Amino acid sequence: MNSTAASIGHDSHGHHGPILQYQPGLPLSRGKLIMWLFLSTEIMFFAALLGSYVVLRFGAAVWPKPHHVHLSEPIGAFNTFVLICSSVTVVLALEAARANKRSLAKAWMLVTLVLGSLFLGVKAYEYSSKFDHGIYPWAPRGRIYERPDLYYGSAVRARLSDPAILAKMKELDARPEGELSDAELTGRRRLKQVRDMVNNPNQQAFDLAVVADQIMPLPGEGSDGHGHGGGLNDTFGWLQLPAVIPGGNMWASTYFLLTGFHAIHVIVGLIVFGIILLYELGPKRAGMIENAGLYWHFVDLVWIFLFPLLYLF
Amino acid sequence: MNNSETDSSSNVTHGPVTSHGKLAEEIQAGGDDGEQSHEAHGGIMQYMAVFVALCFLTTMSFLTYSSYWPWRDEPQVGWAFMMAVSCTKALLVVLFFMHVLWEANWKYVLTIPAAMMAIFLAIMLIPDIGLRNRMVSQERALHMARGSDVLLLEKAASADSSDEVGKHEH
Repeated sequence: MNSTAASIGHDSHGHHGPILQYQPGLPLSRGKLIMWLFLSTEIMFFAALLGSYVVLRFGAAVWPKPHHVHLSEPIGAFNTFVLICSSVTVVLALEAARANKRSLAKAWMLVTLVLGSLFLGVKAYEYSSKFDHGIYPWAPRGRIYERPDLYYGSAVRARLSDPAILAKMKELDARPEGELSDAELTGRRRLKQVRDMVNNPNQQAFDLAVVADQIMPLPGEGSDGHGHGGGLNDTFGWLQLPAVIPGGNMWASTYFLLTGFHAIHVIVGLIVFGIILLYELGPKRAGMIENAGLYWHFVDLVWIFLFPLLYLF
Repeated sequence: MNNSETDSSSNVTHGPVTSHGKLAEEIQAGGDDGEQSHEAHGGIMQYMAVFVALCFLTTMSFLTYSSYWPWRDEPQVGWAFMMAVSCTKALLVVLFFMHVLWEANWKYVLTIPAAMMAIFLAIMLIPDIGLRNRMVSQERALHMARGSDVLLLEKAASADSSDEVGKHEH
């Protein structure tokens, strides 16, 4: 008895214990299992974000149209295209690694990295155009008011009586007409009009709507629905007057939260791709590429829903 | 379980599976099996076909934005259309790029509960958040934007442009 047990315990290969028939619970590798478990938590995470966005959006009394908040649909569509392309390149990298075409796999991985960076670059450009229009996700920098009411009027008045702005306006008034462009000339006239209206003691409710329209008009379908190209904030960049976008603040909160979390996921994906690029991408690394690819496809998936919900709804 | 038996007997149809005495990683890393699953997945041409379909669908959802879209006055039609397009795109990505089409039945264990949780999460928000504007305090009603504000701004804009025309005539 004892001797047979010992012979099983120390077999001819010198291993400790017998070779067991190993059968894991699920027919997939541990790395892939963990990735899928992680992705299922991610499904819930983004579904909660998207779900709250949809509920907030359709529950709101007013929700700004995409062009009211200076969203560009073609740019969004371009970014969608970029992400789809990057999904394809990940798949091609995986196939190349499986076929032991190491340099090809590396090249596709690099293309993915570049496309992901391009997506982030376009996103950064979009963010900066929101910031230029005073649309920020939080209060101290955000210059968006919900409606042209008394509070808005007093905010415009406060900004116009800022010493730095007063000095700039004095400088503008002092410049001879010949130096100014047409837009600046009309702008100067409009600015005077706005100052009079805001400071007028017999101010009417409609006056403040006119003020809001002069400062930052709500663009119509297509870029400029009506006569003047852009408002005072566009003509004089230093002015930075408060503007009115009905429903704009809730829009900004949801937009920056959704796209921000998505962008964080893109950054994490790019870091992962950067790390993968340090390895030799042969069949041994196929599992690693596959797991990173699963994550990347999920990021693509989220954008597939984000694009129509944010840009086209 | 019946499922695991069929999995271990047929490697090709279900992608990476285990076999006796081998770890799942060994099978996945092994060159031969890698080749086999590569062929089972339909190859690069299939990925390209999916890619073309995805690009086409993106163009389709972009169509709702263009002037060719016939239902511009009824946004609900566009929304339904775009959601249908998005779901199709998502399905294509999940099935082909994420290889779910070729996975064994564990895929349902992970995805269905997560999807249900996700739907419940959104539904639970409706009473408090979705219907929040049915009953609002006077304080809130004073400060929140309403449809009338948009109309007021549009009126201001049209008054301004007619004013501008008048000035040009002088």
